[in-house]
Amino acid sequence: MSLYEICQALQDSAVGTSIRESIWTFPIIETVHVLGLAVSVGILVMLDLRLVGAGMRDIAASDIMHKLKRWYLAGFTAMFASGALLFWSEAEKCYRSPTFRIKMIFLALAGLNALFFEIKYVPTMKSWESSGVTPSGARLVGWVSLICWLGVVGFGRWTAYGMK
Amino acid sequence: MSPALLPFFRWADHTWIAMWIRDSTWAFALIEVFHLFGLTLLLGTLTVLNLRLFGWGLKGYPLKSVAADALPWTFLGMAVSITSGILLFLSEAMKCYGSLPFFVKMGLLAAALLFTFTFHRHLTKADAPSPALSKCAACVSVMLWFGVGLSGRAIAFF
Repeated sequence: MSLYEICQALQDSAVGTSIRESIWTFPIIETVHVLGLAVSVGILVMLDLRLVGAGMRDIAASDIMHKLKRWYLAGFTAMFASGALLFWSEAEKCYRSPTFRIKMIFLALAGLNALFFEIKYVPTMKSWESSGVTPSGARLVGWVSLICWLGVVGFGRWTAYGMK
Repeated sequence: MSPALLPFFRWADHTWIAMWIRDSTWAFALIEVFHLFGLTLLLGTLTVLNLRLFGWGLKGYPLKSVAADALPWTFLGMAVSITSGILLFLSEAMKCYGSLPFFVKMGLLAAALLFTFTFHRHLTKADAPSPALSKCAACVSVMLWFGVGLSGRAIAFF
């Protein structure tokens, strides 16, 4: 079974069809997707702005990461779960959408970037924070994250247009 | 809606900006993307401030410093989403005129802006605001702004 056939089967499945053809389910899931995004990506952007040195000077990056963790994780969970359901209902359309592919590439890059930060900079975070100097690599992580999430949100919104 | 408002909506729908956005293939989608960027910045930063106001999240920091750090970005988000929102409105003014969610959204937006720049701002500037009052204000702020988001999404669907 090719990827295309899998996407087609998903879209044609009972669950996919019922979401797509519902009056309320699709709009509700899409609203959860957008509001979950606003909370989780919004908080993440604060962390990125702190890392690149553009703002949030009074708040330590490690505190944004740890004290707000449950909140942005809740937002991310809502966004990923609703995103999976939206994909389920329009998988074949997504497969054919170039903007959806670009969105997925940005999403994967954002994930790898976060993983790199977790491995390389989080273990020593306390020490570089108390020195007051953000390592240039960690600043770069902040910039890459900002660009990737702008890409995810922008191409995500654009995907909805291409599929009308 | 009130027929008294009809001439305004008709005027908005016929402005050259509205016609330019409608004629362009990409303008509406691009403006919509910026609307979403602005909304993300606005809701994300305001959520962090409201969590602190409620007594959750960044508890170890004084409310004042969380407000000082978060609010400039909240206001930037507001400026971006309102500017892009005006452009989107112009291009679809007659559709908005017939849309109940649009009027609900505008009502909530007016209330949210008024609340943010008066009572909410007053509390987040204070040294030690009453915890009960702070919790109420945080809840009202979250409900108003998420209400704006929800009813905004509903314009596209209903």
